[in-house]
Amino acid sequence: MEIERTLQNLMASSKYGSFSWVYVEDSSAAHKDFTTHESSLIYSLSSSLLISCGKIRSVDISKRNQYSNKALISNELELATCIELFNSARFNTLNDNENLPVHSSVKWKYASKSCLCIHSPLLPAACSLNKMTYSRGYTMALCCSYEYLFQSMQHLINKKTMEIILFTCICFLSKSARKCVIANKTSTSIMKGTTICKWLTRVVGLHDLTYRSDQVSIYRDSSLERGDGGERRVAVTRLIRGNWIVCFQYDSKTMRLRYLPYGSTYWMFSRNGRLRLIHPGVVAVALLEYLNHVKKTNGRLCSSPSIALNRAQWKKTVGSSFELTISPLVLFREGILFGDVQRLSHLGKNFSGNFRGISRASLRTKVGASVLRNYVFVHLQKDDEKYNLLIFMLQKLFALVDHTAAPDNLDALQNQEVLLPGHLIAIYLKEKLQEWLYKTRKLFKEELQKNGENFESLTGVQIKKFLDKNPSKNVGMAIENMLKTGRIVTQSGIDLQQSGGMTVAAERLNFLRFISHFRSVHRGAAFAGQRNTSVRKLLPEAWGFLCPVHTPDGEPCGLLNHMASTCRITSFFDSQGNMKDFLKIRLSILNILAGIGMIPSLPKLVRAGPPEVLSVLLDGCVVGSISSDIAEKAVSHLRKLKLFPSSGIPEDLEVGYVPLSFGGAYPGLYLFTTPSRFLRPVRNISVSSNGLKDIELIGPFEQAYMEILCPDGGNGGRRDGFPATHEEIHPTGMLSVVANLTPFSDHNQSPRNMYQCQMAKQTMAFSSQALRFRADQKLYHLQTPQTPIVRTAAYSKYHIDEFPTGTNAIVAVLAYTGFDMEDAMILNKSSVERGMFHGTIYQVETIDLEDQKELSDQAQSLFARSNIEKHSSIDADGLPYVGQMLHPDEPYYSVHNTVNNSTKTFKLKGSEPVIVDYVAVDKGTKQKPPQKANNRSLQYVNIRFRRPRNPIIGDKFSSRHGQKGVCSQLWPDIDMPFSGVTGIRPDLIINPHAFPSRMTIGMLLESIAAKGGSLSGAFVDATPFPGALNKAGEESSDSRVDELGPLLASYGFNYHGLEVLYSGVLGTELTCEIFIGPVYYQRLRHMVSDKFQVRSTGTVDQVTRQPIKGRKRGGGIRFGEMERDAMLAHGAAYLLHDRLHTCSDHHIADVCSLCGSILTATIMQPLKKAIREIGGLPPGSTPKKITCHACKTSKGMETVAMPYVFKYLAAELAAMNVKMTLRLGNGAEA
Amino acid sequence: MDSQPEPVSYICGDCGMENTLKPGDVIQCRECGYRILYKKRTRRIVQYEAR
Repeated sequence: MEIERTLQNLMASSKYGSFSWVYVEDSSAAHKDFTTHESSLIYSLSSSLLISCGKIRSVDISKRNQYSNKALISNELELATCIELFNSARFNTLNDNENLPVHSSVKWKYASKSCLCIHSPLLPAACSLNKMTYSRGYTMALCCSYEYLFQSMQHLINKKTMEIILFTCICFLSKSARKCVIANKTSTSIMKGTTICKWLTRVVGLHDLTYRSDQVSIYRDSSLERGDGGERRVAVTRLIRGNWIVCFQYDSKTMRLRYLPYGSTYWMFSRNGRLRLIHPGVVAVALLEYLNHVKKTNGRLCSSPSIALNRAQWKKTVGSSFELTISPLVLFREGILFGDVQRLSHLGKNFSGNFRGISRASLRTKVGASVLRNYVFVHLQKDDEKYNLLIFMLQKLFALVDHTAAPDNLDALQNQEVLLPGHLIAIYLKEKLQEWLYKTRKLFKEELQKNGENFESLTGVQIKKFLDKNPSKNVGMAIENMLKTGRIVTQSGIDLQQSGGMTVAAERLNFLRFISHFRSVHRGAAFAGQRNTSVRKLLPEAWGFLCPVHTPDGEPCGLLNHMASTCRITSFFDSQGNMKDFLKIRLSILNILAGIGMIPSLPKLVRAGPPEVLSVLLDGCVVGSISSDIAEKAVSHLRKLKLFPSSGIPEDLEVGYVPLSFGGAYPGLYLFTTPSRFLRPVRNISVSSNGLKDIELIGPFEQAYMEILCPDGGNGGRRDGFPATHEEIHPTGMLSVVANLTPFSDHNQSPRNMYQCQMAKQTMAFSSQALRFRADQKLYHLQTPQTPIVRTAAYSKYHIDEFPTGTNAIVAVLAYTGFDMEDAMILNKSSVERGMFHGTIYQVETIDLEDQKELSDQAQSLFARSNIEKHSSIDADGLPYVGQMLHPDEPYYSVHNTVNNSTKTFKLKGSEPVIVDYVAVDKGTKQKPPQKANNRSLQYVNIRFRRPRNPIIGDKFSSRHGQKGVCSQLWPDIDMPFSGVTGIRPDLIINPHAFPSRMTIGMLLESIAAKGGSLSGAFVDATPFPGALNKAGEESSDSRVDELGPLLASYGFNYHGLEVLYSGVLGTELTCEIFIGPVYYQRLRHMVSDKFQVRSTGTVDQVTRQPIKGRKRGGGIRFGEMERDAMLAHGAAYLLHDRLHTCSDHHIADVCSLCGSILTATIMQPLKKAIREIGGLPPGSTPKKITCHACKTSKGMETVAMPYVFKYLAAELAAMNVKMTLRLGNGAEA
Repeated sequence: MDSQPEPVSYICGDCGMENTLKPGDVIQCRECGYRILYKKRTRRIVQYEAR
């Protein structure tokens, strides 16, 4: 409890509420749980993007001007953008600004009256009802410069729209109290981080990425295949342009350093999608300005600059003779170059002709500088830092070559971080803005050339005219499109491994499914197709960060993981909700490190390597070295300081101390302060616990080198030489939110817990509290949910009671009637009739007449009822009556066309009756101002249907232990077995065979516990690993049964939950005692009503005349080869003939026995003969005369039954000039 | 469409005000200007399956 409070305190003051409740004014922190916090952290990022990038020159082409040769590019022109958030009340409103209706002012008054904190009527609820995108405009000031002249800052306002992530700072609801949110018809449980794009609620999925600013050395087999003599040792770095304050520069570049077998290395990076190779020596030399500078100021370094210096350096750093021999070669094979110009142009030489705008040879220097700035260690600004890091990477690579260090595992969570939605949007926005700018610049150039005008003489109006040709709306559209489809369209490839599937629709089937979208981490689509399974492995590094239980089985197993419940993600915000000042944080860390005994890397150059000293890297920048003797002490000091916020060390600092080892990971002290790392709380037991705070946040990188004790069970194989410094708070912290809800999950076989995680997410439940106002396309709703009697601590912690998922059903484990075979279950008919598992599906149909209009151009159509033919199901406004039941093929709305004055009715599709739940009429969104006056009338309607779905035979149910089953009978109550003592009849009967092989002991325990709980009237705690909370000395009983049994016995029940039952049919006592008790059962969303498929005849394929497939179209199920084999094996020839022929493409063909063709039969129409009509009888059909077209006679025509495809085949063959001839004969002769 | 059809009642999605609209009327609440209106439940007798 105390722990929890501490953590709550840690997180309580966050101004971003939790996911289930938006508390801003209501700060009674009781509800607030910290796990909900991190999701808010994740999703507040994107708002930071918009807030923080006010007045920031975003794109670096603003610098381009400095390189441009005046004479060369006379029309070169620069555009830089400044992004600014629209702070005034000019929001994207539902009403187009121009033609606001007169009484809209009343609306404003109303808004303020009802104390809603809205400045605009556009709210999430209205958006989803309107199929709109919840977005908001922002402006950009465009600044044009030309040949060093800055044309006056043009105050061109480009209205764009930007998706709003719900409940972020710019969301209207973010600052409103819970009451307000509810008043605005939004469920308070709607999670932060969803966007509403055209009706769909989308979530940006989290994806694993390789750790940024971390050097990973790996073996790469793929580089062998390239066949350019590359070795398979690669050091990979993913770097992110630093300067965290400017989120807009969030921009990553991956660098690779590849070892070649002859001892040299390659430096690889990709630019505009193409891989570039360059010798690191060239880069190093280019960075050497710094060395020269040091040489001048620091007399210690020898005069002949590079070789001697670096040989000495190499000697010290890498002790092996191997490297000593190759080191000069490595770095200085390219020769020594002096002077800025020479160095840079040497580098630039490699790239001339590749950079846009700088194509001339004379610009090499600039290219070189640009490469250094934009492609070499982009997260570092200074050349000396870059140089140090290059040396460090080389050291690490050679250590790997030398087998003194082991390669890193890229699949381990240790080397991973997540791609957060905010970052994704930011880089995408940057990309799109840059594209837009390039295009605009080109446009300007063209326009200026065409008109022969001077840039100086351009007026604002002209510029605006130019800009209108490249509408800035496209940028916002691109982002909306990205969110809507999850696809990234990019030319330069923004260093992401995949281009699709970045977002997923947040399904609201139930709360657990909804929340899982926010906690899931996908490894990336690239791995899904991979053959080997190493990526999917559950590695020990993921302990506490990724849930071992909550991953789907089957295809995405191990790739789609879910974060453990205590796991969270670092962000730009600290726990107080304030923006972090990374510069300040780094400085204070550096100061503290220097105080501990780190030797700063600046300005001295001579350093030693791992055995004696360890490099200290802070966010991928070599900041110094520390003697390996004091490293351990320094680490524990840093950890201590982490606990105190006032120390200047952020609480989420990751202190990755890789100790010295031979052949292990490359040693060093790696510190990280960056956002988007995984974090989880553990208790630091090395500090004296008299202080209040001992909860430390650790990351996956450092975790691997820490000694963390888990209070459940033994010491985890820890030796005495390494005492534990940290302790888990509770073992359930390793489970995800959903996995935490399984009661007694520590007693179940582990795959059953995995199944439960899947099934919990497919449960029909109480999906939303704003059900009345929701317009989701499909919404499942459980009518009579209950709170479980047996529950885990997480259940109350996450307030699942607000979204209950099941019913406490009295379950008897017995083989009764035989209808419970093979995972089938018998439901008590009366229980169902009393409302057990009753549910409904809400389905919204949107009818927008504007959409339909495009077909018939000018016709104005509106909803109206026809006067001539009145349908009882259509109201006067052409829409159905609310509350009325509609049957399939019944007309439910009619549309009147004003042009041809006709009325068309539309019939209900589907196969089951529906009830009209609501009809919401709306003005619609797609109207543009210059339209007819009539355009405000009834055009856009949302009709919500309710489909009652009470349990029927074939519906699927499951307990919380991965025990799913299908209802096989609704058994009458009187025929159910009943208890001899209490007379109770079970609601549900399952077969005892469900247990032995599946070993879901948790379900048996739940039954006993719930029985005891319902007798005593108390909820029973079923949190897994209860032993972890016991204090030392206090010994818990060996078995959970011994805790639960006595309670049952005290109420006069059997200790083990057995009861004497009597047969409901015969009234005799059943021969054995039956295990019976309440178990929380979930109703799964798979229902027969959605799945059954039945057909005898129906629609057929046009070409083959065989039945089509697909349930929706009334198709059949394929009767395939295996089914055919089964029929043959049984000798059921007639049935086979019926299935494969009569019910399929049975055809009577006319075959000419003379020529053997089936294609030549032609029907000769007999001359019209007057047939005398006989009253009451149908006219007699005239016999058709069939002749062979080829033989010109009808003599040999015979009728033969055959599959139609055979005839089709003959036709196809004939098209290929192959004739098929049939030889006819009597069956006996053939 | 010639004879005047009877007006239909709607309830404002924001303020709950009852609005009676004829065909061709602007879909907007007379009271508060909100543009999403919900149709009123029918007064007709509806019969559901009570099973």
